[in-house]
Parts: sequence; C-alpha cells; structure tokens
Amino acid sequence: MPPAQPVVELQDVSKSYAEGDAVREVLANVRITLHAGEFIVLLGRSGSGKSTLLNLISGIDLPSRGTVRVDGRELVTLSEHERTLLRRERIGFIFQAFNLLPTLTVEENILLPLELTGRDGLDSRNRVRELLDTVGLGNRAASFPDRLSGGEQQRVAVARALAHTPPLLLADEPTGNLDEQTGRKVLDLLEGLTRREKACALIVTHDPGLVARADRVLSLEAGRLVEREARA
Amino acid sequence: MKQRLLIRSSLRHLGSHPWLTALSLLGIALGVAVVVSIDLANASAMRAFERSTDTVAGRATHQLVGGPSGLPESVYRDLRLQPGAPVSAPVVEGHVRARSGDQRILTVLGVDPFAEAPFRSFVPRGGGRVDMGAFLTEPGAALMTGRTARALNVKAGDPLQVAMEGVVKPLRVVALLQSGDENRAQAMEGLVLTDISTAQEVLGQVGRLSRIDLKLPDGEAGEARLASLRPLLPEGVEVIRPHTRGNAVEQMTRAFRTNLTALSLLALVVGTFLIYNTMTFSVVQRREQLGRLRAVGITRRELFALVLGEAAVLGMVGTVAGLLLGVVLGRGLMELVTRTLNDLYLVVSVRSLSLESFTLVKGVLLGLGATLAAAMLPAWEAARSAPAVTLRRSMLEDVSRNRAPRLALLGLVILALGVGLLSLPTPELLPAYAGLFSVLLGASLLVPWLTAKLAGLAAGPLGRPFGLLGRMAARGVTSNLSRTAVALAALMVAVATTVGVGLMVTSFRGTVADWLESSLEADVYVSPPALVTRRGGATFAPGLAEQVRATPGVASSSTLRTVQVRVDGVPTDVRAVDFGATPVRPYRFKEGDPARVWKELEAPDAVLVSEPLAFHRRLGVGGTVELATDQGPRRFRVVGVYFDYGSDTGTVLMLRSTYLLHFQDARVSGVALYAEPGQDVDALVARVRERAGTGQALGIQSNRALRQLSLEVFDRTFTITHVLRLLAVGVAFIGVLSALMALQLERARELAVLRATGLTPRQLWGLVSLQTGLLGLLAGLFSLPLGVALAYVLVHVINQRSFGWTLQLLVSGDVLTQAMVLALAAAALAGLYPSWKMSRANPALALREE
Ligand SMILES: Nc1ncnc2c1ncn2[C@@H]1O[C@H](COP(=O)(O)OP(=O)(O)OP(=O)(O)O)[C@@H](O)[C@H]1O
Ligand SMILES: [Mg+2]
Repeated sequence: MPPAQPVVELQDVSKSYAEGDAVREVLANVRITLHAGEFIVLLGRSGSGKSTLLNLISGIDLPSRGTVRVDGRELVTLSEHERTLLRRERIGFIFQAFNLLPTLTVEENILLPLELTGRDGLDSRNRVRELLDTVGLGNRAASFPDRLSGGEQQRVAVARALAHTPPLLLADEPTGNLDEQTGRKVLDLLEGLTRREKACALIVTHDPGLVARADRVLSLEAGRLVEREARA
Repeated sequence: MKQRLLIRSSLRHLGSHPWLTALSLLGIALGVAVVVSIDLANASAMRAFERSTDTVAGRATHQLVGGPSGLPESVYRDLRLQPGAPVSAPVVEGHVRARSGDQRILTVLGVDPFAEAPFRSFVPRGGGRVDMGAFLTEPGAALMTGRTARALNVKAGDPLQVAMEGVVKPLRVVALLQSGDENRAQAMEGLVLTDISTAQEVLGQVGRLSRIDLKLPDGEAGEARLASLRPLLPEGVEVIRPHTRGNAVEQMTRAFRTNLTALSLLALVVGTFLIYNTMTFSVVQRREQLGRLRAVGITRRELFALVLGEAAVLGMVGTVAGLLLGVVLGRGLMELVTRTLNDLYLVVSVRSLSLESFTLVKGVLLGLGATLAAAMLPAWEAARSAPAVTLRRSMLEDVSRNRAPRLALLGLVILALGVGLLSLPTPELLPAYAGLFSVLLGASLLVPWLTAKLAGLAAGPLGRPFGLLGRMAARGVTSNLSRTAVALAALMVAVATTVGVGLMVTSFRGTVADWLESSLEADVYVSPPALVTRRGGATFAPGLAEQVRATPGVASSSTLRTVQVRVDGVPTDVRAVDFGATPVRPYRFKEGDPARVWKELEAPDAVLVSEPLAFHRRLGVGGTVELATDQGPRRFRVVGVYFDYGSDTGTVLMLRSTYLLHFQDARVSGVALYAEPGQDVDALVARVRERAGTGQALGIQSNRALRQLSLEVFDRTFTITHVLRLLAVGVAFIGVLSALMALQLERARELAVLRATGLTPRQLWGLVSLQTGLLGLLAGLFSLPLGVALAYVLVHVINQRSFGWTLQLLVSGDVLTQAMVLALAAAALAGLYPSWKMSRANPALALREE
C-alpha cells in the first residue's frame, strides 16, 4: 500500500496551563502520526492530559509549542474561522462531557452536524433514525437531552459524532457511563465506521478490553506519549 | 436554510424564559411607543394648524398686513382703484369662543364673497342653497359646516352666541356649508364664515381689515408686479407670504416640541439599556451552550449573526407592539399636547390623530436600530466564546473582575469627554445630548468596579445578622459580576432618568413659583379672558379699564397692553406697561442696572427684552430690534434683559408712552390694582366686580388667587412631562424587575443544589430576597448621584439651550425617595417569582436542567 497522507500529525507538541503564577506542563514533546483506517486506543491515568490532546488535535485548543497537522493542514496557521470549518467538516468529536445542546431535541442534536455540512434532507433524517435505533434510543428522538440519563446522553453524543461520517473520529471515553453490553455495541459502531469508511478513530478509554480490538495502542505517561505494541 | 436548527434553538431559548422575553419586549415596546406617540401628537397638532391656516389662506400667493391692529379698510379701496391692481380680497379674521355645544374656540373669517372666487372655493357665490342676500345684508349672518353646527348644537336658522374677549355677540346660522370630502371637512372644523362687516363687529375691528390676500403670477412677472405695488402702499403696510405665519408658529413651538421629543428619546435610551441587559443576559447565560456550539463547529461569525438575529426578532416584535401602543398612547397625548399648546402659544384645535407614515417608519428604525445597537456588544461577546471544553466559568468571572478597574478607567475617560461636550460654549443642542449620553455611558462603565467594592463591604454587615446566607447573598453579587454589573448599570440608568426628569420639573416649578412671588406684587389683577392663557392680549371694552382703576379703595394701579408685533420679522408678544402712580417695578434683571433701566426706558426708542428673547435672538444690552409699528418698521434699543418665565419664545417690554407713540392703539389688556393701606383685598375684589358690571366677563383675581392660577397653568403645561416621566418610571420598573428576575432564574441550578443540600423554601426565599434587595439598594444608590447630575444637565444645559431660561436646580428629597422606593419595590417584587418557582420546583428536576 502506498503511504497515504497522514490524517493527523503532531510534531513536538507541548501544552502548559498557567494558573495564577504557576505554569503546569500537561503535554511535553508529543510526536505522533495517525493514518486513515486506523482504530487507535489512547490510555492514560486521570489527569494525564488525554482530553487536552484531543482538544489540540481538533483545533479547539492550540498547543503552547509544536505543530499539529490535520489532513496536512497546519492548525496554528489557520484562522479561527478556518479551524472551525475544518472541525465541522472533517472531525467527529465525542466529548467527555457530551456537550449536547439543551435547546435541541435528541434528534435535532444529531441532525445538527448534517445540517452544518449542508446535508439536510430526507436522507439525513433517515440516517438519524438509523443511528438512534443503533444506539438503542429510537423512542427518545423527541426528548430534550436533560431528560436523558447520563448513559443515554453519551449515546446521543456518539450518534452525533458519527452522523456526518467524519474521516477523523475523536472519542473521549465513549463508553465511560455504559454497561458492558451497551458499551460493546457502541464500540462496534465506532469500529464499523472506521473499517467501512476507512476513517481514523482515536479513542480514549480506561477499558483494557478495548486494547484487544485496537490497531494501535497509545499511552500518556507523565505528559509523554508512548506507543505500545498492539496485539494484531 | 443552513441554520434552521440554530434558529430553532434560539427561539426555544427565548421561549424557555417567557417572563424575561415578555418583559424585554415590553421594554422595547414602551420605548418605541413613547417616541412614536409624542411624535404623532406633535405632528397632528402641527398638521391641524397647517390645515386651518391653509384653509383660511386659500390660494393667496401674498398677503398685505399691517401693525397689531391690522389695516384700515381704505388700503383695500385704494388698491382696487390702482390701474392694473392685482387680484385681491379683504379678510377679517379672529377667534371667539362659542357659548353653546362644546364651547369650542371658533375661527371667524369675514370675507367679501364677490372677491373670493380666486381664493377660497368653499365660500359660496350665490346660486346654491345659500341665501346670499341674507348672508350679505343680515347683521350677524354666519355660515359653517354641518359638522361644526352639530358640535355647537345648532341648526340652520338658529341663533348662535359667541364670546369675544368676554363680551357676548349674537350670530345667526343662516345656512350650512357643504364640506365635500373628509379632508376639507376637517380643515373647516370650527370655521365660521361671515361677511366683512359682521366679522368686524364681532371681533371689535370696525373699519379695519386683518389682511388683504393677493394673487400674483409666478416668477418674474409676479416679482415685477410686486415691485410696482410696493411704492404705492401706505406706511406700515407690508407684503408677506402666507406660509410665513405657519413658519412662525412652527418656530414658536419648536423648542417645546423638541423638548418633548428629547424626553421621549430618553425613554428609548432607557429601553435600549434594558435591551442591552436582556441580550447580554441571554448570552452570558448561554456561555456554556455557545461554547458547545463552537466545539461542534459553529463559527464565530455564525454565532454573532445568531445573537443579532435573536435581537432582530425581539426588536421586530417589540417595535410592532410599540407602534400599536404608540398610536393608542398618541391619542391621549395629543389632547395633552393640544391643551399645552393652547395654554402657551396659539389657538389650535386638534380633533384627530394623523398617522404620519414618516413617524411610523422612524419608529421602526429607532426600535430596530436601538435593539440591534444594544445587541452588538453581547453578540460580539457571544462570538468570542471559546469552545466549551476549554472554558471554565470561574475563569470568566475572573476576567470580568479583572476587567472592572480598566472599564472604570474607560468610564472616567468617557465621563470626562461628556463633561467636555457639555461645557462646549455653543448654543447647539446636539453636543449637549451627546454629552448627556456620554455621561450615562461613562457612569455605567463605573458600575462593575463600584459593585465589586461595595458588595465586598456589604458581606460583613450582612453576615452578622443573616449568617452564612447573608454572606452568600453578598458574595453572589461579586462572584457573578459579569451578570450583576450589567443588570445594575441598566437599572441605574433607568432609575437615574426618572430622578433627572423629576428634579428638572421640580426645579422648574420652584423657579417659576419664586418668580411669580416677585413679579406679582399688586393686590388685585383684572383682565378679560384670553384664548391663549399664558399670553393674554384680550382687551377691555372701551372705558372699562378706567372705571376699574377708579374703584374706591385703590391706592394706585398699573396697566398692561399685550399685543403681537413682528419683531425682526417674527411675530412676538410686545407688552406696553403703564406704572401709573405706583413705585413698584416688579421685574428682576439679568442684564442692565435696575437703578438706571427705568429711566433709560423712558426714551422713545428704548425697550427691554425677556431672557428667552435675548437668548433666541442673540440680544443684549446695546443691541437693537426692529418692530413693525403702525408707522412702518422702527429700530429700538435694548436697555435691559429681564427674567420672565411666562413665555419661552420671549417678550419685548416698553413703556405705554412709547407704545402710544408708535401704535394707534389705546386699548388695555390688563390692570393691576394696589389697595389702600388697610383695605381688605377680598372686599376690593367684590367692589371691582360690581363696578365692572356684566357687559364683559372679566377675570378679577386677588394676588394669591392669580399666583395659584398661574401655578395651575404651569402644572397643566407640565402634565405631559409628568406623563412621560411616569412612562420612564414604568420602563425603569420593568427593567429592575426583569434584570433581577433574570439573575435569580439564571441561578436556578445553584439554588437547586442548595435545596438539595437542605435549605428550606423559606430560607431560599430569604437568600434570594436578600440578594435582590442588595442589588435594588445598590441600583438606587448609584442612580441618585447620576440622577442629580442628569438633572443638572437638563436644567442648566438642555433647558437653557432649548428655552433660554436660567433655572435654579432644586434637589427635592421627594424625588430621591421615590427613586429608592422604585428600585427597592421592584427588587422585592423581582425576588418573589424566582424564589416561589424554586421553592415549588422539584430540586431533582432543577438539577438536571443545564
Ligand atoms: N484550563 C485549564 N487550566 C488549568 N489546568 C488545566 C486546564 N485544563 C486542563 N488542566 C489540567 O491539565 C491536566 C490534564 O487534563 P485533562 O483534562 O487533559 O486530563 P485527562 O487525561 O483527560 O483526565 P481524565 O481522565 O480525568 O479526563 C489536569 O491536571 C488538569 O487539571
Ligand atoms: Mg479527560
């Protein structure tokens, strides 16, 4: 296979936060390349900087040092506007805190990325229905997010991130609030997308069972990214 | 539509706070309504006046006019005899009051039907249903439209009594005029058509004409005719254009109308602050949500447009409601405006509100413009939202706390700028209003910093009696500074406005009361009833004034003649005073040495001018004015400027001896009597009444009664200002209510946590009330100094530049107390709903809401 352009490329990325006078470095010289079709797991203890890393990749946050490239485009050099459009078009993000919009129904929340990328029509409505059925929420389409349980909200967040079949999927503990069985279903969904659409998925998890499915396993330790040998 | 879902989300957000949305809509609607209604009322009055002057002027291109008592009839006769005389018609015109029906003021128009054809089409020329023989030969024969007759309760053939300056005159309605269309019918309301001699008899102008209408060809030919005509005219006769009169009225009432418009705009400014408050809230409240939108890929531009779009929707709905409300309100205000105009300036009867499309368009632009302008900053704030994940609420509050001192500094700069603008040595009003606005804005920017400081101070005292809850209440104010400060600033502006206008009115009234005290020194005042209360001008029947002056018990007396003369081309009230034997000179001078002025005034070309006249015409001691006397234009020297709060257009004062030199008019409009020592004033009033007889209804008032009456007229002319102030108070109240309510509703989750951790509903109510109370108190306190500053600007800059009056600023405790009560009452009310809602709500549900 010819080496395609990497989907994500991080070079010597560092990130530190200033709190008052103290400066704390969360990520130090992170270097990584992710390709299309890869299903990748990111491990790390609480507070090790996993969410921070996903934020940097999605352009939600900018690194203190180093470069982040998505689809070959260097994020720092893009304008805020361009970064937002890139995120909208190319990335599906399952946030750790879900980030559902309280003023939109479950169905509308999932429809939003489709509408934003100009794909609202009957097809997209069907796709939303399909996704909702898959995550087991077919009967909650008209509910507002605050009426759902934590796990249900998480599944809506998953459906939303997948709706526009993004080439890059960032998932921050997508099964954290789910029972084993439901969790497995959600992971099947993520993996299915990756395989079928040749997308790239980066999944943060504490679930050691997931490691078995992954193409690659990354781990954050004391601000440094380490790649473990994946079991093929 | 790409953003359908976003829009739906916005609408849901507005819908999820129906109370707040409704209150802010009401704020916009009231603001727009006040502006629109004042504009409509003003425009209707002006339109009615225009219509009636157009009707009586007809198609005349020019008019020949004379001094205050008109022209001798001979001028018309001579003119007709000139070879190549222009098309002309004689006119006698004046006002009387009907003694039947609704007792309205009527315009008597005396014409010569045979000369009328080129001028007024509504004057019958025989052949129709009107018996021209009776109209021309029967003394007192009058024509009017059916509508006017109905209002006066008379039919064709009925007698009609009218009063001219208190003397009753009989007329007879010989026939009714066809008015044709509605426009014409409105224009002819209150018009009584008679022949020349009847009008002269009724109006007391025997042998004289009010004017002669001319019709000259357009352009060069007309100019040539005019040029050849001029040398033939006797001394004291001038050619003017008919619209000059309308212009004069327009100008005379301009300050009055501008002032009303400015006050109404103040209501809109308050409304704008409320909109700003609402929009900022809606943004601050959704910080988290806006961040999420950013995280899923909504760009800044889209967020900016979204918030502006929300504002536009609010603005549109509020504006439309405001227009409707404005029309309703306009009908009420129209009567007040008309009454005030009639009290102060001129005779005008306004029967219907004219819905000027220009006013309505202006209302839409103002309403939408104000809303969008107010939403700019919040929309920009919204667009700056960071994507949700990187955002921490406490960081935001840190930012707004850190920003507070810098904002305060900016506020000081803007304040200084405002003060600079206000002290510019110019008579222009625009910089004054800009300065006023800068002061409001600058003061608002000081609020965050002041709030943080004061709430910090309040934590201690509140903590002692109320324990932890008290401290929490105080800390809530600072820890939510981004919201509380905005609300407080809006409240402060709203309440301060009511303080400012309130103090302005009390200062005005105080100054006038003071002035009346010093200018009314005689014991009894006698004058015939005038149609325009403040101006006077009605005259005594021949011989009656002398009879009144000779009443036993009178030690000395003075007389006054008030008459309208063109001064530098502008119709102006001129007063001729004869002090008789009395040594009292009840005038105070702004310019001129009181010890010398009276001596100087004895020169045959010396006059005094009142302060507003000096201001409007840029006059001072040493200046000159040109009066259109009966002997033609004459220059007079100004030897003093006196204080006078009776007329904002200004008056000219001269000695009666001077007046008699220049005007052929020996009539008297008012007599002031000084009682002999020991003479009982009430008895003197009774004696004067007896001597005056019943031929002319005279107003005979003791000093005290007249002072009272004058203040009543003053209060009446300020009714409309009071109404405007009340409306501003209404808007302010709504503002306090909605801002504080928003603040508490927004804390629903925090309050739910408190409920969940064991706060009883009563404790919750206490906490909420403490906090809204604290905010109400702060808003009230902030508004007092700003309100006084506002009053200072209104009194010493704006009023001074509009009317030319020097007023004393009186800080009345009542007005200040009212403001505090307003702020606290609204605050107390604002706490009720949220705490009631929260104490009933299931904490579990509230906790879920984000
Ligand atoms: N805005 C911020 N200001 C200061 N410190 C921050 C900020 N955001 C993150 N941090 C710190 O950076 C570190 C990494 O945070 P991050 O959220 O990436 O951890 P994480 O690996 O996702 O942890 P978890 O598994 O608990 O979600 C933490 O110690 C956190 O306190
Ligand atoms: Mg995390």
